[in-house]
Amino acid sequence: MTANAHLMEHMMNPKNYGDMPENDAIGIGKNPQNGEKVAIYLKVKEGDEPVIDDISFQAIGCTTTVVSGSIITSEARDITFSRAEELISVTLGMLDKLPPEDAACSEMVALALKAALDTYAERQKDKDFPVISYIIKTDCTPKEEEE
Amino acid sequence: MKILFKEVHELWLATQFTGFMSKTQSRPELYEYANIFFKHLTWLENDFVKNEISYDYNVNHVPIKVTHISHMINNIIARIIAVEEKLKSCKDGDITFRMQSDLTYIKSALEKLPEEEVAPAFDTKRVYPNVELSEEARDALTLFLFEESYKEYELIMVYNYSKANSNDAFLNRIFQILIDESFFHLRSFGQMMADMGILGVPRSLMEEIYKFDDLEQFLKDGIQEEIGAKEECKKLAAAVSDSSEHFASFFTFINNQENYHIALMEEALAYINSK
Repeated sequence: MTANAHLMEHMMNPKNYGDMPENDAIGIGKNPQNGEKVAIYLKVKEGDEPVIDDISFQAIGCTTTVVSGSIITSEARDITFSRAEELISVTLGMLDKLPPEDAACSEMVALALKAALDTYAERQKDKDFPVISYIIKTDCTPKEEEE
Repeated sequence: MKILFKEVHELWLATQFTGFMSKTQSRPELYEYANIFFKHLTWLENDFVKNEISYDYNVNHVPIKVTHISHMINNIIARIIAVEEKLKSCKDGDITFRMQSDLTYIKSALEKLPEEEVAPAFDTKRVYPNVELSEEARDALTLFLFEESYKEYELIMVYNYSKANSNDAFLNRIFQILIDESFFHLRSFGQMMADMGILGVPRSLMEEIYKFDDLEQFLKDGIQEEIGAKEECKKLAAAVSDSSEHFASFFTFINNQENYHIALMEEALAYINSK
């Protein structure tokens, strides 16, 4: 499968898309510039360290956001929370290599995952802890529009 | 009843998108059946509204990637049988009778549709028949089709929800026109996606997209989105004008249709503000 065909597959059939009514935690990533948002739902398996047993996402956003969500949630399935934190960190570290509009979409998904992990951690102390939302820092205005 | 509603919604999408992948006389027939399933959805929805039962448009992903149309036809028939089994959960006998009658006929008609190879609708080649596209134009068209096919599905459901939950005849006339317009656009874009080998069913909608409190703001945002879509159409028309006159005139036509949608939304806004 070529890189293009791989991306097309995520566009045509996004992985892990949809809500999860029986979730253990939800996290939200938001872009206040254009009102776009991503929600990530987690089902967590407890053990020595919590593991993401099931994950899904929903988005009000563009196709790039959906592709990012499809890729990142696929990577996050069945990994421990500390591996998920590494995944978030690697994703956020790559943002400056992407065009601004793509970077904003990936950041929104990574922050939604971070928010879901943090919501889960808080709910271990207080089961009624509200859903955490994080706001992206990347300006998603394409360069040609700024000029 | 909520499961029945969800399954009818999925049945509609499966049938509509199977219509897109067909290149034979099966296409218009599948479109007609999809129309009937959408009508069933609105009947069930009206029953929810009448009985003040909350509902949503959540659906599971509808997989459609097949090599032959018979695979999807069998899938649609299996979906119809599942719907028939749940029909008794609908307490309205008239709806149940009408739906059952339609489903029985459609099942038998579907079994007679000819076999057809449909793998090219999913081959991701992104080659439009008889049109030379530059890499840039091809990428722009690909993104446009994904964005806009989702958008048209979203608009159908948003206006349908607004219409189902409003008794205002003036607004409902406008909502219905916008639903019909979005159906036409969804069909145009869906057929193009199949031609380019990138056909996929749009993702499901988050509830807050259609369950909004501020119709005025929704219409204002909608007008801005239509203006944005017009710009995209203009850019695409320019990008493909060298390689395809037909393509360029199609996007100019879609661009001009957006003017009508904007006029309708402005009419709705003026009406709301005059009340």
